[in-house]
Amino acid sequence: MAEETLQDPLNETEVNIPQQLEVAILPLQNTTLFPDTVVPLAVGRERSMRAVESALSTEEKFLGCITTKSEGVTGDEAKYDDLYQVGTIVSIKRMMRNEGVMQLIVQGLERFRIVEWSGEQPYLKARVEKLPELERVDDEAIEALKRNIQGMIQQALAMLPQVPPEIRMAVMTQTDPIQLSYFLASVLDLGVETEQKMLESNTADELLSLTHGALARELEIMQIRSKIANEAQGEMDKSQRDYILRQQMKQIQKELGEDDEGGEKAEAQQLRERLETADIPDDVRKEANRELKRMEALPQSAPDYHVIRTYLEYVLELPWRKASEEKLDLNEARKILDEDHYGLEDVKERILESLAVVKLRPDSKSPILLFVGPPGVGKTSLGRSIARALGREFERMSLGGMRDEAELRGHRRTYIGAMPGRIIQALRRVAVNNPVMMLDEIDKLGNDYRGDPSAALLEILDPAQNSTFRDNYLDLPFDLSKVFFIATANSLGPIPMPLRDRMEIINIAGYSDREKLNIAKQYLVPRQITENGLKPEQFEITDAAINLLTARYSREAGVRQVERTIGNLARKVALKVAQGSIDKVVIDVAEVREYLGPPRFHPEEARKEMPAGVATGMAWTEMGGEVLFIEATALPGGSGLTLTGQLGEVMKESAQAARSYLWSHAVEFGIDAEQIKQNGVHLHVPAGAIPKDGPSAGVTMASALASLYTGRKVRTDTAMTGEITLSGLVFPVGGVKEKVLAAHRAGIRRIILPAQNESDIEEIPEDVRKELEIIPATRVSDVLKAALEPASFDENADTQRFTLQDMDGKKGDATTDRLMAKES
Amino acid sequence: MAKAFNRHFQFLGSSGGAKPSGRLWLPAADVYQVADGWVVKVELAGVAAEDVEIEVEGNTLYIIGCRKDRSCAAGGSFHQLEITYSRFEKTLKFPASIDGVKLDHMFENGLLIIRLHKGDE
Repeated sequence: MAEETLQDPLNETEVNIPQQLEVAILPLQNTTLFPDTVVPLAVGRERSMRAVESALSTEEKFLGCITTKSEGVTGDEAKYDDLYQVGTIVSIKRMMRNEGVMQLIVQGLERFRIVEWSGEQPYLKARVEKLPELERVDDEAIEALKRNIQGMIQQALAMLPQVPPEIRMAVMTQTDPIQLSYFLASVLDLGVETEQKMLESNTADELLSLTHGALARELEIMQIRSKIANEAQGEMDKSQRDYILRQQMKQIQKELGEDDEGGEKAEAQQLRERLETADIPDDVRKEANRELKRMEALPQSAPDYHVIRTYLEYVLELPWRKASEEKLDLNEARKILDEDHYGLEDVKERILESLAVVKLRPDSKSPILLFVGPPGVGKTSLGRSIARALGREFERMSLGGMRDEAELRGHRRTYIGAMPGRIIQALRRVAVNNPVMMLDEIDKLGNDYRGDPSAALLEILDPAQNSTFRDNYLDLPFDLSKVFFIATANSLGPIPMPLRDRMEIINIAGYSDREKLNIAKQYLVPRQITENGLKPEQFEITDAAINLLTARYSREAGVRQVERTIGNLARKVALKVAQGSIDKVVIDVAEVREYLGPPRFHPEEARKEMPAGVATGMAWTEMGGEVLFIEATALPGGSGLTLTGQLGEVMKESAQAARSYLWSHAVEFGIDAEQIKQNGVHLHVPAGAIPKDGPSAGVTMASALASLYTGRKVRTDTAMTGEITLSGLVFPVGGVKEKVLAAHRAGIRRIILPAQNESDIEEIPEDVRKELEIIPATRVSDVLKAALEPASFDENADTQRFTLQDMDGKKGDATTDRLMAKES
Repeated sequence: MAKAFNRHFQFLGSSGGAKPSGRLWLPAADVYQVADGWVVKVELAGVAAEDVEIEVEGNTLYIIGCRKDRSCAAGGSFHQLEITYSRFEKTLKFPASIDGVKLDHMFENGLLIIRLHKGDE
């Protein structure tokens, strides 16, 4: 088959252009025409159009194209000097007139050089000389440049996806480096100077290196631009990229999540099964199912997932219906209480009464007991005994220092780390809904801005309300009515009235020395023997020694210190036994002193000598009772009443009442009212560092003042308590048992009590009572009659009275001076 | 710059702008095989017979010539020019040697028709 060859280089020289010829010259602005390229041109200026027309009128349509080297010179104005000397002869291939402009397509044929200008008008015309073909100096260099250029063209085309394929083909298949260079030069915007230089190149080497340089520069610019463009593009795409990445991540999570979901399903399934089999009320099950559904809809990684799971586990573990079996036998209960505690007959009686009600009406609300008493009297262990007697679980929680209502009632689940309250936690621990729950130290509840826990206790301890106790965390009603609540407190004072009102108060006063002896013998000594690894036959302690321990080595209403000292002794013996002694050690008074050193406490003994103005009172403390002394002294020339010794308001006021009463009844008691008027008095209640308050020292203060004013001493063997009124009545006070026991311990044998407190006398242990003379008083005069010694005239014994007697005779400043002189 | 470059290329692609080209006009040609040889038709309207040279060398046929505008010298002015006036050279290769064939050519309706007769002697 015949085929056409595109070109035959052999025949190129055959282009039929004479060596020299005269052509019309078309000046070009900003464009350079190269041989071997087809280029469209638009010609609109008069002179240029005349030149083209003239060319068209020749047989071969040749036209000389020369670029203007001067800037801003139009084709009409261009002079010879404005034009380069080298141009390209073109053949006009197509021409079309369009609105006065000639559209040309010209084909570059040969380079030429101006030989001689032959006219400027009507168009530029010159005699030109065809330039020879380019020389090839170094073929290898040309080849190298050509390959480089082709490489760069490929790179450039890679960055220009919009270049049409036929151009690509034409460029890539162009094998002649010169033609390629000319084409590139006409395509690239290299600037007139560079392009002209390329046109004027006479060797292929020169042309190619110019092309190479230009192309390299272009390529670099393109790369930079492309990089900048890419970066800008990158910025814009960032959000989109993020989106895509997130989508991918989602996909990945989904892939991985299938496993997770499997785990979740299993977990949820497990919970569901437990929920179905669990013995829980229907409304609880409904709520739990709802939460379970919510949980199933959540991914395991969601924080709520774990919140709900913990919640459901709590719900499942709570003893909604599970109760421990009652085995309530009142005789058995009595036996257990007696076993565990000595004495406390009335307390036991009341506990048994409460238990009896529980026995008769098993569905009744459990009673709520409040044990009030000093530390160490066995409140907590009583609670334990009750649990044992009832055969129920025992759970103790200390409320001491609790300030946050949420501790009792829980936090709502919305909070991070939310937990149910202590009540619900305790119930989960014991796993039955009818434990004996001991709320220890209920009087030590605090409160602050976070809320008042005692307010929450109001609900918990109200039998009418606590059957639907709603913990904030659970948000489900839980029946607390089966719980046997026992609260303990050291004093009733700090317990809010509404709370106190909900509980049955059982006072446990301190023990007498006799009781302590029995408790020690029956419980403490055997317990300490076992705890210290001894055997009963190795350790014995005499009653006298125990009495010494309770009296001189401890001071308390309970037995905790006694037990500790017994423990001390037991350890000393244990040391001996461990060292090899096999003898039985008997602890008597001497051994106590040997092992424990001198007695730690000196009993608040009745003072043997009391000057006038000092009276013995009795105080109630949380530790039991105490004896205290009230001292009054006159301040000659002073005025008013000075009170010291950390007295509270009530106590201060009762002191004022006492003084006012005496003042107003001065004559009745043989007191010179002038004395009271003219002299101040100072009342002091040691020990000065211990705050004291309450009205019960009223009679004592009245006695002290009366003693001061009359000069009659208060009997040292007599202690008293009672509130007084301004009209001289004696009102009853509390804590009589503790006070009397303390006074008895201190060696007092006469006690003045308000007559209305007589009923309390029965509480005083028999052994103590029979050693005491108890004088009931209804009026202050009764008290003073019983308390004050008959008038004494022993001057040496009472200097102050002496002074006062003197004062009776000689009034005025002289007396005061004398008194002061004497004192100094 | 890249824009300029692009524009150039686009321009080239769309409007038949600057294109690499040879210097010659390459007229279109058909080649037939007939019983006694070949017939070559070349589109050479307006070419004077004396301006055409035909040569044979081995298996190659060269048709060389020049189309000149002979009607324009009268001083008229072109309004439109679409016909290429240029030197041309057509090179046709045949599958076998055509040395020694008998050539005759004629113009017919603007086509140059060349017959190549295999030598029957």
